[in-house]
Amino acid sequence: MDRHDVTLTVNGRTSTVSVEPRKLLVDVLREDLGLTGTHVGCEHGVCGTCTVLRDGESIRSCTTFAVQVDGAEIRTVEGLAKGAELHPLQDEFWDKQGLQCGYCTPGMLMRACEIIEGNPDVTHDQVREGIASNLCRCTGYQFITEAVCAAAARMKADSAETTGAQA
Amino acid sequence: MTTMDRPDAPPVRTHKENRKWVGQSIRRVEDPKFLRGRGGYIGDMTVPGMLHAAVLRSPHAHARITGIDAAEALAAPGVHAVITGAQAAQLCDPLPDFGPDPAKHTWRCLAVDKVRYVGEGVAVVVADSRYLAEDALALIDVEYEPLPAVVDPERALADGAPLVHDDLGSNCAYERTFDFGDVERDFAEADVIVTDRLRWHRSGGQPLETVGALADFDHATGELTVHTNSLSFTSYLFMVAGTMKIPANKLDIRPVPAGGSFGSKLFATKPAVIAGMCSREVGHPVQYLEDRVDNISNCDHHGSDRVYDVRLAMMRDGTIRGIDIDTVEDYGAYIQFGVGHHGNALAQVVGPYAMTSVRYRVRAAMTNKNQQGAYRGFGSEVNNWMLEQMVDKAARELDLDPVAIRRQNFIREFPHFIPTGNVYDSGDYDGVLDKALELSDYKHWRAEQAKAREEGRCIGIGLITAQERSVFSATEFWFWFDEPGAPVTSMPESVTLKVDATGGITATLYSCAFWGNSPETMVAQLVAEEFDCDPHDVAIVYQGSKNGLPATGPGGSRTTVMLAGAVEGATAKIKAKALRAAAHLLEANPDDMEWVDGGFQVKGVPEQRKSLADIAVMLHLFKHSFPEDMESGLEDSKVFDHPYTTMPSADRKDLGVFYPFMGHACHVPVVEVDLETGSVSFLAYAAVHDCGTLVNPRSLAGHIVGGTAQGIGTALYEEFVYDDDGQLLTSSYLDYLIPSAMEVPELKIGHHETPSPYTLHGIKGGGEGGRMMAPAAINVAVNDALAHLGVRVTELPITPDRLRAAIRAAKSRESG
Amino acid sequence: MKPPPFQYAAPTSVAEAVELLGAHADDDARALAGGQSLVPLMNFRLAQPAYLIDLRRIEELTRIRTEGDTLVIGAMVRQSHAEHAPEIAVGAPLLAEALGYVAHPPIRNSGTVGGSIAHADPAAELPAVVLALDAELVLAGLGGTRTVAAADFFTGPFSTAIGSGEILTEVRIPRRAGGHAFVEFARTHGNFALVGVAAVVELDGGTVARASIALSGVAPVPVRATAAEEALTGTVPDDASIRAAVDAAVAGLSPAGDVHGGRETRTDIARSYLRRGIELALSRAGDRR
Repeated sequence: MDRHDVTLTVNGRTSTVSVEPRKLLVDVLREDLGLTGTHVGCEHGVCGTCTVLRDGESIRSCTTFAVQVDGAEIRTVEGLAKGAELHPLQDEFWDKQGLQCGYCTPGMLMRACEIIEGNPDVTHDQVREGIASNLCRCTGYQFITEAVCAAAARMKADSAETTGAQA
Repeated sequence: MTTMDRPDAPPVRTHKENRKWVGQSIRRVEDPKFLRGRGGYIGDMTVPGMLHAAVLRSPHAHARITGIDAAEALAAPGVHAVITGAQAAQLCDPLPDFGPDPAKHTWRCLAVDKVRYVGEGVAVVVADSRYLAEDALALIDVEYEPLPAVVDPERALADGAPLVHDDLGSNCAYERTFDFGDVERDFAEADVIVTDRLRWHRSGGQPLETVGALADFDHATGELTVHTNSLSFTSYLFMVAGTMKIPANKLDIRPVPAGGSFGSKLFATKPAVIAGMCSREVGHPVQYLEDRVDNISNCDHHGSDRVYDVRLAMMRDGTIRGIDIDTVEDYGAYIQFGVGHHGNALAQVVGPYAMTSVRYRVRAAMTNKNQQGAYRGFGSEVNNWMLEQMVDKAARELDLDPVAIRRQNFIREFPHFIPTGNVYDSGDYDGVLDKALELSDYKHWRAEQAKAREEGRCIGIGLITAQERSVFSATEFWFWFDEPGAPVTSMPESVTLKVDATGGITATLYSCAFWGNSPETMVAQLVAEEFDCDPHDVAIVYQGSKNGLPATGPGGSRTTVMLAGAVEGATAKIKAKALRAAAHLLEANPDDMEWVDGGFQVKGVPEQRKSLADIAVMLHLFKHSFPEDMESGLEDSKVFDHPYTTMPSADRKDLGVFYPFMGHACHVPVVEVDLETGSVSFLAYAAVHDCGTLVNPRSLAGHIVGGTAQGIGTALYEEFVYDDDGQLLTSSYLDYLIPSAMEVPELKIGHHETPSPYTLHGIKGGGEGGRMMAPAAINVAVNDALAHLGVRVTELPITPDRLRAAIRAAKSRESG
Repeated sequence: MKPPPFQYAAPTSVAEAVELLGAHADDDARALAGGQSLVPLMNFRLAQPAYLIDLRRIEELTRIRTEGDTLVIGAMVRQSHAEHAPEIAVGAPLLAEALGYVAHPPIRNSGTVGGSIAHADPAAELPAVVLALDAELVLAGLGGTRTVAAADFFTGPFSTAIGSGEILTEVRIPRRAGGHAFVEFARTHGNFALVGVAAVVELDGGTVARASIALSGVAPVPVRATAAEEALTGTVPDDASIRAAVDAAVAGLSPAGDVHGGRETRTDIARSYLRRGIELALSRAGDRR
C-alpha cells in the first residue's frame, strides 16, 4: 500500500504520521493523533462538524486528504482551552447554552474562532451569516450567535486591557 | 358519552414555594466535556482489536434477491467476514417490532429474500478499517430481479398494487375507525362543514451524529456488551436479547452520549444488532457506525408521511363542534411502532378547542420506502398542523378573525377530558394567547401587512394555538386492538441517589442517556432543590441495561417529569433514614425535627443540628453507633411509575388517560413570500410556551428555538423525496436541506407557567414544543400572505416548486 | 463514506505535473486542486481516480497579476483569497462578488478558482462569470500551452475542453468597464443555486453600449443570455425594455428540472433573477435613464 509521511503541527505540537494518501484529515486527527474532538458528520463537506483551522483558516477536514495539508499548522477544539481555563468562546457557549448535544460544537467553535480572530468588531448579523457554514440540529443557532458575539466583545475588551496595560 | 366510569385522578399536589434551584437558568452540567471536545461519543470509542463494519445497501426499491456472491469481497485485504442477509437470518431473529402483525411484515437487520426500499441492507462486511470494509462492499456481487415498486400510499392501498409483504396479502397493515362522542349529531347539526385534503411529506430527525454501536461478544462467558448512542433499552432489553438469541441476562447495553436524536435514536436496534451479530461471528469487538447515506436511506426512523381528508363541523358563530379525520399514513416498508404515532395524535386531537366529537379513521400503508420511527412530535405535530389548517380555513370561510375563532373555542376548565378520553391536566390558553399577541406585536404586523399589500408585497402572519402533550403511557401503542398482546400501562423511570461519606451526592440514571436534552442538569437541579446543595456539585452516572432498574428513557417529552418523580421518591427514602440517624445522634424525637438548609435540626433550636455530611459520615463509617436495624451507607432508589394513566374502555370509545400533562403554545411567525420565486422568508417570529413549571428556562428556550428550526425545515426545506420508481433523490445534505443560521430567524420567546396539579413542582414536558408548532404556524402564515390571491397551500414542505405551482394555478384561474 | 485508494504525487512545477499526468493517463490520473468538489465525489465513490496529482505545491499557479488590461489568476488561487484580493476587486469585481456565493467560507478556504472552473458544474458560479467576462482559460500539456475562450471551454455538464494530459493553469480576464452584478437563487444559504446570473452592463450617456449576461443552472453548461444582451444594447433602459430583454432571454430557455425545482419553476426564477441582475448592474453602471 502506497503510504506517505505527513507532518502536521496540531495545536502547537508537531508529529509525523505515515498514512495512505486517501486517508481523510479528520480520520488522521481522530485515529492517528487521538484527537476525537473533531467529529464526522456528513463526509461530503456540507454540515461543518469536522471544521478545523489550517494555517488560521477554517476548512472541512472530511473533504481534505491529510496529504494535502502536509506541513500545515492545524488547530482543533482540543487547542482552545488553556488547561483549566476555557477559551472565552467555550465559556460563552456554556453560559448562553450555545450547545445542546455538543456534536457540532467543536466545528462551530473553530469556525467562530476564525470569525472573531478575523474581525474583532464582528456584528451580530455577520456572526449569523458566518456560522451558516456549519449546521447545528439542536439549537436553532440563536444562542450560538449570542455566545459568539459575547465572546467577541469579551476578547476585544481583554485585548484593549492588555494594550492599555502595555501603553 | 363514554362507556366507562373514569377512575379518580391522582391527588392534587401543593407545590413548594420559594424554590431555589428549580426555575434557574444554571449553566448545564453536561457541557464542559463537550466544549472541550471530550464528549465520548460512540465514534470516539476504540477498544483493542476493534474491527469496523459497513453495510451494502440496495440500489433497488423493490427486487427479489436471486443470488449473492461474496467470495471476492471475503478475499479482499483486511476483510474478516461478509455476512449476507440470508446468513444473518440464521444468526439473528427479526428485530424488535411493536407493529400490528410482525410475522407478516417481518423486519430484519438485513434483507433476506427481497429488498423493499432503496438503501435496505443486503450484506455487511467486517474489516480492519472502515476504508477496507467499504472497498470490499464494491466486490460483493448481488443478483437482483427487480419488481414493480409502490411509493404512493393511496396507490399502495388500491387494488392491484405490488405487494410490499406477500404474507400480509395487502399493503394495508392496519385499518380502523374510531368514534369518540356523538359524531353523527355534531355533523348533522352543523351550519357549515369545512373540508380539506392535506399532505405532509416525510422528513426526519437527522442528528449530526448518526446511529452507531460498538459490540463485544465474549465467547468465554456468552455475554454480549453493546455500547450504543441509542436509548431506551432497559425496559425492552429482553426484546433485543431475543433478536440476538441470547438470554437477556447475558446482554448489557451501555449508554453513550448521543450527538442529537430528536426521536431518531429512540430504541434504534438495527445498528446494535448488526454490530452484535458481527462481533459474535468474528470474535472481535466490532464498531458499526452509519454513515450519512446510511442514516438518510436506511435508518430506523423516518418521520411521519400522511395524507388527510378532514371535515370540520362548524356553527356559523365560529363554534367548532366536531372533527372527522380520515388519514392514510405511509409507513414505508416496515412498521416497528405500529400506529402509535396516531395514539400521540389522539392525545390532543382536538387541540385547545372544546369540541365534543371526533371520528378518526387511520389506515397504515406499506410502501417501498424506508420505515418510519420517531421524530420530535411522533405524529402529534402532524395533527397540530392539520387541525390549525382546518381552523384557519374555517375562519376564512366564515369570515371570522383568526384570533377570535381560536379564543372562542378555548377550553377553560381543567382538568378537561377530551372526547378520546385523554385528560388535559391544566392550562391557560387565553394567558398564552395574550402574551403572544403582545410579544409578537401582532397589531403592528397586521398594519404592516396592509401597507405591504398596497406595494404588491405579500406578508403573512401565522398565528396558531396548539397543544404539546407530555409523558406518554404505553396504552397508546395497544389501545388500537381489542385484545392487546401486552397490557403495559406504566413506563417507569428510576433514579438512585447515593450520599457519600462527605455528603456529596451521586445520582444514577437508568436507560436515560444524554441525547442533547439535559437529563444531568435537570437531575442536578432537582437534587439541589431537595438537598440544598449546589447543582454543579451533584455527580451523575449512567447505568447500563444489565443491572439497571426499570426505566424507559426519553421520548414523548417525559424525561424531566419522570426523573423529577424518581428524584423526589429517592430523596424521601434517604431523608427518612437521615432523619432517623440525626434524631438518634441528637437524642431527639424525629417528630420534633425538620429539614433546614441542607440538614436536620430540632425545630426552633438551630444549634441542635446535623448536616447531611455529619449524618452521612456517621452512617458510612460508624454503623454501630446506630440501632441494630440501620444498615451502613446512605443510598436509595426510586422506581417511579407513570403518575396518571388509566385503562381504555373495552369498546374503545374512551381510550383512557394516556398523555395527561398537557402543554400549550402560541406561535406567531411573520413571513414574506416572494411571488416570483416561490420562496419564503421570515420578518419576525414570536413563540410563547406553557410547559408548566420551568426547571431551567434557558434550556427550555433552547428546545423551543431548536425545535422551531426543525419545524422550519419541515415546513419549507426538508423532504425525503422518492421518485415514482422508489429511487431516493435526497440521499445527501446537498439535496436534503437542513436549515442553516440564515434560514432560521431570531425568535422572541415567552414563557407562561401553568403548573400541573399532578407532578412535582407542577412540571410538564417541553422537549418537542418548537417542532410541534412551527410547521402549522408557517403554513398558516404563508396562506395568510397569499389569501388575497386565492392561493392556499395544503402540502408540506412548501418548496419553490409547490408554491410557484399554486401561484401559477391561481393566476391562470384568474385569467381563465 | 470513505474514498477509494489512489496513488498520489505533489509536483512542484507545471512541467512536472503535466509529465506525471501523461505518464499515468492509463490510471485515470486526475489533477487535484482544492478538492472541494472531487473529494466529496470520491467519498461517495462516484469518482475513483487511481492517481491524483496535487497541484498545491506549484507556486506559479497561486499568483494573481495584471498584464495590461488583463487580469491573470493562477488556477490554484484559493477562492477566499481571490474574493478579497485587491487586484480582483479592481479588475474583475463581478468575480469577487460571485466568489461570495461559492458555498461557504470554509469551502472557499480550500477551493480554488481553477478547480471550480475545471469542475464545470452547470450550477456553479465561476463558470458563468468567466463566460460573461469573455475570459480565456490557459491549458498546459506535454506539447505546451494553449488558450481556450470561455465560450468554447464548457462542453457539457462536468466536462470541458481540457484535454487528456492537460491542466488548467491560468484564467485570463479582460478588464471590463460598466456595472456588474452577480445574483443567484439557492434554496438555502450557500447551497447549489437553482439559477445564477452574471452580468456586466456598460452605459454610454444613458444608452446601453454593451451588455454581457451569463446564466448558470438553466442548461447543461453556463449560457450567455444573448437575446437579452441584444435586446438591451442600444436602448435607454427602463422597466419595459428590461422586461423585454428578460422575456427574450427566457424564451430561449428549457432548463432541466430536479428535486429542487422543475422546468417551470427554474424558468420562473431565471426570469426573476435576470431582471434583478440586469437592474443591479445598470444601477451600478451609472444613472439609469
